[in-house]
Amino acid sequence: MTNHCCGPGYASPAEAMTAPREKLLYTIAIYTGTGIQKPDYLCTIDVDPESSTYSQVISRLQMPGIGDELHHSGWNACSSCHGDASMERKYLIVPGVRSSNLHIIDCGTDPRSPTLFKVIDGAEIKARTNLSAPHTVHCLGSDIIVSMLGDAQGNAPGGYLQLSKEFEVVGRWENSMGSIKFGYDFWYQPRHNVMVSSEWAAPNTFMPGFDLEEVGHLKYGREIHFWDFEKKEPKQTFYLGEDGLIPLEVRFHHNPDSSHGFVGAALSANIIHWWKDAAGDWQWEKIVDVGNEPHPEWPIPIPGVISVILLSMDDRHLYLCNWLHGDIRQYDISDPHNAKLTGQVWMGGLLGRAPEVNGVKVTGGPQMIQLSLDGKRLYVTTSLFSTWDNQFYPEIRTNGGCMLMVNCDTENGGMEIDPLFVVDFGKEPNGPSRCHETRYPGGDCTSDIWV
Amino acid sequence: MTSFTITLANQGGAAFDVDHRKPLLQSLREHGVDLPYGCKYGGCITCAAKIISGKVDQKAQRALNNRQINNGYIILCVARPMSDCTLEVGVESHDKLYRNPFLDPLAAHELKADIATPLEAKK
Repeated sequence: MTNHCCGPGYASPAEAMTAPREKLLYTIAIYTGTGIQKPDYLCTIDVDPESSTYSQVISRLQMPGIGDELHHSGWNACSSCHGDASMERKYLIVPGVRSSNLHIIDCGTDPRSPTLFKVIDGAEIKARTNLSAPHTVHCLGSDIIVSMLGDAQGNAPGGYLQLSKEFEVVGRWENSMGSIKFGYDFWYQPRHNVMVSSEWAAPNTFMPGFDLEEVGHLKYGREIHFWDFEKKEPKQTFYLGEDGLIPLEVRFHHNPDSSHGFVGAALSANIIHWWKDAAGDWQWEKIVDVGNEPHPEWPIPIPGVISVILLSMDDRHLYLCNWLHGDIRQYDISDPHNAKLTGQVWMGGLLGRAPEVNGVKVTGGPQMIQLSLDGKRLYVTTSLFSTWDNQFYPEIRTNGGCMLMVNCDTENGGMEIDPLFVVDFGKEPNGPSRCHETRYPGGDCTSDIWV
Repeated sequence: MTSFTITLANQGGAAFDVDHRKPLLQSLREHGVDLPYGCKYGGCITCAAKIISGKVDQKAQRALNNRQINNGYIILCVARPMSDCTLEVGVESHDKLYRNPFLDPLAAHELKADIATPLEAKK
């Protein structure tokens, strides 16, 4: 049972898993880079199977201007503030990667129709902190920090923006970036006084699109960084080399006592696992290696490009998406050193295994995913980033993205695409848009951290 | 002020006089032209346009590789005109902007300026 006397979220991951089923999703959709001169927007999607508008967008909140490229988002409060009765999970912070604007969206007053509460102008953030290109948002008790991938001119490594709970710019969170070359995602595990951060590239490198040759010129990341969380400075770096090209999503176990964590190396298409050994030293290893796949029209085999990973709330299953191959995989990581493949489904992708699903042509591949708290429903969207979409899946300009749902067997393992759920973003009122990250009003598997 | 005339070939040949000191994106938007843009610091390519004739100063751009520059692309949020120019704007001009990087690799001289190897002079 949720303890209503306390603050937001849940007392433990186990309690989160008993929460009521999600009835609404918040998913961003973009027009940036599509040729449609409309703002990006936040969709509210009905996922209550008892509702007459199930599997439909029921409201759309436009941002004030065009060109933000909404991408990821984060709550103002999560289970890290569970003990603080003055906090409420009410506001979604939705950054624009290109504009550097931070949109603070009130999802609490009317959860079915969120409203814009405040915009922190990208120009103010650049002027006050010399940072741009916001990406991951995590709350830290009453504060909010945002990984910023560039300086005000779009050069790496950027840093971390700290906001107060009133959404005022506090300044730079970190005391030092050490020798870190790039930023991207981060996750913290306070009981081990550690934060782990990963590396994409400088905004000036990744925003215009992907030049493969720039990987060889060391313009893309291949390291992960272990921070002294209290001192707010990096302490140790692991060079992952060819096994860890472009390490993106960082996920610690939800269990706050665990030191185990994982990162998906997008271009190497590997899962990297780390943990603290008996001597108290951090170690890493590769636990999943997705092989390249031949394609009749390609001179070289296609890498999977693992664009996202996610852990179930009970830390038993790891999900990954191969955005170019077109599959989502479920691994049992009960033993985190030995990942066992337990499920796989196909949607879109360049290998042509599932060009159409539930009557909708899937343009793009499985990309962002969000898992229900009970681990049984995985919501999947297909767009990665406007310029990269335009390179690999140019038909997305006219077809738009889509959202599908995958039913996951949490007992025996296995996955199956739900035949009744599909949201076709190709049929949006202002024209085809592209959908990316999703959050639930009650928290989800990539929001909540326990202190 | 020095002004130049900017003609938009794919918007019915509409022409606008602009201040040479201002970025083209700013000038054209002030004239009411609805153009895509993103970062406004020359790093993100969303506002790319194709120059058909004329010359611009776009030293501040960081988004384009040399192949894109050779194909005529300019970054409107930082490019300033140095002459009268004719442009194609918007995604309709992006036919050669995006390529599949696995199918169509760049030669060493086609990379971004900071890592490109200059072509040897032809003998």
